[in-house]
Amino acid sequence: MIKYTESHEWIQVDGKAGIVGITDFAQKELGDIVYVELPQVGKTIKLGQEAAVLESTKAAADVYAPVSGKITAVNDALKNAPELVNQSADSDGWLFKIELSEPTELDGLMEKEAYLQLVKRG
Amino acid sequence: MRTVLYNAHVALGAKMVDFAGWEMPLSYRGVVAEHLAVRTHAGLFDVSHMGRIRIQGPDAEHFLNFVTTNEVIAQLDGSAAYTVLTHSHGGTVDDTLLYRFDPQRFYLVANACNREKDLAHLRAHARSFRVTIQPTYANEGILALQGPEADTILRQLFPGEWNLKYMRFAVMTYQGHDVLVARTGYTGSGGYELFAENSVIPLLWTDLLAAGCNQGLEPVGIGARDTLRLEAGYSLYGHELADAIAPTESVSAWAVKWKKGYFVGQEALLRLQGNANKRSQHGVVLSEPGVPRANCRVFRKGVEIGLVTSGTHSPCLNCGIAIVMVQEDLALGEGVEIEVRGRKLKGQVIKLPFYNP
Repeated sequence: MIKYTESHEWIQVDGKAGIVGITDFAQKELGDIVYVELPQVGKTIKLGQEAAVLESTKAAADVYAPVSGKITAVNDALKNAPELVNQSADSDGWLFKIELSEPTELDGLMEKEAYLQLVKRG
Repeated sequence: MRTVLYNAHVALGAKMVDFAGWEMPLSYRGVVAEHLAVRTHAGLFDVSHMGRIRIQGPDAEHFLNFVTTNEVIAQLDGSAAYTVLTHSHGGTVDDTLLYRFDPQRFYLVANACNREKDLAHLRAHARSFRVTIQPTYANEGILALQGPEADTILRQLFPGEWNLKYMRFAVMTYQGHDVLVARTGYTGSGGYELFAENSVIPLLWTDLLAAGCNQGLEPVGIGARDTLRLEAGYSLYGHELADAIAPTESVSAWAVKWKKGYFVGQEALLRLQGNANKRSQHGVVLSEPGVPRANCRVFRKGVEIGLVTSGTHSPCLNCGIAIVMVQEDLALGEGVEIEVRGRKLKGQVIKLPFYNP
């Protein structure tokens, strides 16, 4: 299952295990991403908290936790290749893995169609 | 406002942004890709948003020597010079390129954001000079063709024997139209800038892009224009220079010439020399990952000493770079820290430019 946030994150969930990234729309808006600041593995974060920072040539953008939980892994490849987020925002450019503490929070997120409608409306 | 190439930019898929009241292309393919294209091959920029002011008359040379900081009397006909307009209080009105046709005819290329301010400043100081001051930005456009392949590409449109040294210009003809070709630019990678009537600009744009397609030429937006100029260590008005920053405090300090005779702002700049409050600007390269931005705080041994005026991620050096303005003396090689989003990142003072192609 993949769900989307209004702040342009996606989360792919399998049971309590989630993988989080930003959407292709978001990477296009940001432009060339040159530095990625990822959370500490083991850190617990709450829904809506700042979880990562993406720095592009233009600006810095916060990535918010789409759900509450504990960070179980981060995408270390982004340290040397932040451009992966531009090239492959919805797969190889994932940011972090999270163990969901409140799976019901997923009900508040959007399905793909609703998200695509949102970005289409601008 | 829109340049005559607005539709061409949109058709090329450019992301358009507002820049000093102009709808300009931020980027087409991406800032980093366009930046690297200019460094390795060539890039074509629409810079028709720049302010342009024609200054003519029997006193034009003396007037411009009086109202700008660089040497205008000794400037050669057919050459361009970087020069700064200074307030009488020493702050910077604008930094400009001054194109000299002859002692009575000049062309000043100004920052888009300062166009009206420059006009008012020039007119206010022109009262005792026989000069006419006339803006021309509405009728003419400017293209910048920059990068190591720029020369090869330009010669396809302008064949024949000609040679222009750096900072020289000549009026040439393309398909019956006058084009001022100048060996100037704002990227550090060399190349040319072309000035022509608006009606000729789309023709030049299309034909240059076609001529350069085998040399790796691509359109480049104002996003890469900024990262290129910063790697080259050039000032950007509003950052390194401002109404409250004197040119002698900036990386453009070299353009202030003391022995050229009186100029507006000279007393204030002289007073500032040796004053403990005088600031200075330096290049800093970060050794830790992160992107410094304008107004980030700068520290030395834990003590705050100044601010970043411009910062970015350097696509060529692949690290953060910044021009910093500090009140203290900074030596080459000295270590400083720049606070980026709450983290103090280590950096080192280097000799500008950051990158020399």
